[in-house]
Amino acid sequence: MNLRPVIFAAAALALAIAAAPTARAQSQPAQTPAAESPWTRSIVTLEVARKQYDFLQPWNTRNRSAVKTGIVIGPREVLTTAAEMFDRTLVRLQKDGAGEWWVGEVTWVDYHANLALVTTEAAAFWEGLEPVELRTAAADAALQIARWRQGNLELRRAEFTCYVVREAELSGINHVMLACDSDIVGLNGGEPLIANGHCAGLVTTQSGRACTVTPASLIRSILEARRQGAYRGLGYFHWFWQPAVNLDSLARLKLPGRPRGVIVIEVPERPDGAPTVMKVGDIILSIDGFEVDTSGNYRDPEFGRILIENLSTRGKWAGDESRLRVWRDGQELEVAYRLPKHEFTNALVPAARYDTPPEYLIVGGLVFVPLTDEFLQSWGPEWKRKAPFRLLYYRNQPRTREQPALILLSQMLPDPYNIGYQDQRLLVVQKVNGQPISRLSQIQQALQQPVQGYHQFEFMPGDAIKRLVVKAGEEETEATARVLKRYGIREARRLAD
Amino acid sequence: MSWNTDLDRFGDGVHVPAVRVHQLLGLALLTLAAASPAAETELSVVQVINFGQQPAWDAPWRFETVQRGSGSGFVIKGKRIMTNAHVVSWARQIIVRRYQDPRPYLAEVEFIAHDCDLAVLRIKDERFFEGIEPLEFGGLPKVRSTVVTYGYPAGGEEISYTRGVVSRIERQPYSHTGIRHFLACQTDAAINPGNSGGPVVQEDRVVGVAFQGMQGLENAGFFIPPPIIQHFLKDIEDGRYDGFPRVGIQLAGTQSPAYRSWLKLPDNGTGARVDRLLPICNKSGVLLEEDVLLRIGDYPVASDATILFEGNRVSAGVAFQLAQVGDTLPIQVWRDGKEISLQLPMEACEVDRAAGFQYDVLPRYFVHGGLVFTPLSLDFLRTAGIDAADPGHGELIYELRMRPTDDPRNARPEPVVLATVLPHEINANWSVRGRAMVDRINGVRIEKLEDVVRAFEQNRSDFDVVEFVPHHAVETLPRAKLAGANTEILSNYGIPSDRRL
Repeated sequence: MNLRPVIFAAAALALAIAAAPTARAQSQPAQTPAAESPWTRSIVTLEVARKQYDFLQPWNTRNRSAVKTGIVIGPREVLTTAAEMFDRTLVRLQKDGAGEWWVGEVTWVDYHANLALVTTEAAAFWEGLEPVELRTAAADAALQIARWRQGNLELRRAEFTCYVVREAELSGINHVMLACDSDIVGLNGGEPLIANGHCAGLVTTQSGRACTVTPASLIRSILEARRQGAYRGLGYFHWFWQPAVNLDSLARLKLPGRPRGVIVIEVPERPDGAPTVMKVGDIILSIDGFEVDTSGNYRDPEFGRILIENLSTRGKWAGDESRLRVWRDGQELEVAYRLPKHEFTNALVPAARYDTPPEYLIVGGLVFVPLTDEFLQSWGPEWKRKAPFRLLYYRNQPRTREQPALILLSQMLPDPYNIGYQDQRLLVVQKVNGQPISRLSQIQQALQQPVQGYHQFEFMPGDAIKRLVVKAGEEETEATARVLKRYGIREARRLAD
Repeated sequence: MSWNTDLDRFGDGVHVPAVRVHQLLGLALLTLAAASPAAETELSVVQVINFGQQPAWDAPWRFETVQRGSGSGFVIKGKRIMTNAHVVSWARQIIVRRYQDPRPYLAEVEFIAHDCDLAVLRIKDERFFEGIEPLEFGGLPKVRSTVVTYGYPAGGEEISYTRGVVSRIERQPYSHTGIRHFLACQTDAAINPGNSGGPVVQEDRVVGVAFQGMQGLENAGFFIPPPIIQHFLKDIEDGRYDGFPRVGIQLAGTQSPAYRSWLKLPDNGTGARVDRLLPICNKSGVLLEEDVLLRIGDYPVASDATILFEGNRVSAGVAFQLAQVGDTLPIQVWRDGKEISLQLPMEACEVDRAAGFQYDVLPRYFVHGGLVFTPLSLDFLRTAGIDAADPGHGELIYELRMRPTDDPRNARPEPVVLATVLPHEINANWSVRGRAMVDRINGVRIEKLEDVVRAFEQNRSDFDVVEFVPHHAVETLPRAKLAGANTEILSNYGIPSDRRL
């Protein structure tokens, strides 16, 4: 399960990193390919203009533009990562690192898989561009990261580190990544990792010398499934497990034979309401025929020893079945597990909601917004430490049918209507006029039913106030209009539903 | 517009208090040259040297190295020395030095009040008091009036005087426990480490006890004012310290005209609304949510939840803190559209004390198969290097500081942590190695440390099973090997006893 990083998965992850990859030797010294190699012309530059929202003032929109890299992988098809592609207003393409820009069109984007396909109608753009094959790097292949820089192709040697299961850049989902080191600086995402003239993956993130690359085989399997109409988004295992390195735990569960498997410790309700299937105390012995070791790894034919989370994206998509052998109540049995779709709304505090302007509702200066990671990111790069503790705490709480999401009174735009409450902010709304709240539209509905001419707001327990009362009716309407005018806000609300 | 009048909790999340007690370090001294104070006063001001030793909360049978701390104190009536609680906490030996007297005198704590950071000491050697007149207390000094601090701050051996004005008087966090707010005076007289416990004097009378500074503020020291000192002295008259009463309510102002009209409250600028009853205190049930406090004892309550106390606007909670535990306070309350009179019993509330720093009580623990269990505490978090704002340990912090009031139904009276795992063959394969909150042991939900002991000792199956929060991580110990392992572990790690309950 990977709604949030799992401590035990993380522990196992460390082991996975420590384990030497078996299927791969160190990369050879970089070779500089001839500048005229066909694949060099397949690397294109993308310029993306997009809207950037201020989640503290969600009615405000700023513009942002980013330059990134893509690679031609098929007829009229450029592949890049999904980063910076959301809320876009204009995408342009440039080839050969200089000259004309062509207006592009995003034909497909998947923020969980962090992939996007871009095309352009301009025939001239495609002249001379040869598709590059997506192919796993051979064990002894020299690896290079490529991009256009100031009109010239920059090629930098990369050294393979290991394959590792890691949280995706834009989503909480975990899947296999290729970790490598390179001296190249300032990667923006989408740069191809080149091996023997093929594309071995796309760079997603960089931290110092360490680069994370989505490997070619994962990309290829997703794109092929998409072409066949079989891709329904990435799925995942919706349970928590723990390594079974404590052999006494296996003995207690009476597992015969050699130590193996991992122990299921928590099985939350599925977001799609389907039966959970797995049970606490299950020992997962194998998934899709791959034996699971006590650290939670299986031996992947391509990636070597790697965390079992990867089996939820290895040629399987949301809605597909994984077949597990589990040890349950003293016997081994086979379990078919249908992979739930990884959606941002599966979490109580969703990571993001791309391609949709942020929601808000203003009532007489009281500003209500959904609690999301994007909102919390207003506290800057260290938001996971600096945002208010209670709000961060909700990120680790389960989404339930009664409380599928949280709404905040994010701030108060001072007005005579709300005098006395000017300092109130960051309060999680529990009820409005007695009605439970988990969506903005529910606030709007509740405001239709004032209590004796007043609106009563109740908040979750915290350090600030629990209750707040304002007047309903004409005063409220006038105040909202006044606030919008005074603070230069066009609309009092932007609701998704 | 909300005041935690009673449960003096913390801003949203971040709360290692901003206030840092000065005790050990510090340099600056401003000696007072002119207007030399009456010579008798400094005779009564003493240096208090504490050789203290704290337990190790992550290895609770062990003590840390002995620390020498130095503060100040002064002689009061009844052959007592008054100082700060933090000056004499965890004392192994307390030595008191008189003004210009080379002899060390042994002292003992007679009463200590950790909540308001005050203590009184006794000295057996009668010679100590020869030639010393006890200092008299004055009243609450006026804002802008001049005060002089006496003490033995760092930077020298001799007594030091600093002069300043009373800058303001209001309720402040008292950092010794980290969870209480009381009336305090701020002054620009230099109050430095070592000044702690020393008298703040005006016209030959003590008007305060210097006790803390605040990070980030310049020329701002704080002293404990006479109402808090007198409260402490009156409290101990019966031979026992009960502490300040706690009402268990969260007050909010009533400045919103809308809220006032909703409550049918006249538009006269008075009244603080009971926004929330805190489940951990509030035993009497006299007050209800949505009551508006109009008057507490002699003090009318304003709509910003303050009272006027000797010319100073201070939080209304001060009015409760002036009363003693056991008193009954007359209050005027606006309820259901009319004013009523009620009698509010003043009660002590110890339930949330675990949320603050603990003193002079050794941490409880139980060691079983190398697993060290101890109650979750602020001291433990600090020892384990866990920042009180670290969301990576959100469960521990929430459990300690927030769940008791936010979610009382699921709160445990004494959450227990697996502090550490002492390596031994029996536990070598455990992947949970400590700093984890215990949920259940052998199926028993752990509400307090005694449950841990019982759950292990009453188990008759082949395995001990420990489950942790969050996500029910589970670990197992084989019971067949336990007896030998326990003996070996206690011996290997020099643990005198497997438990302190």
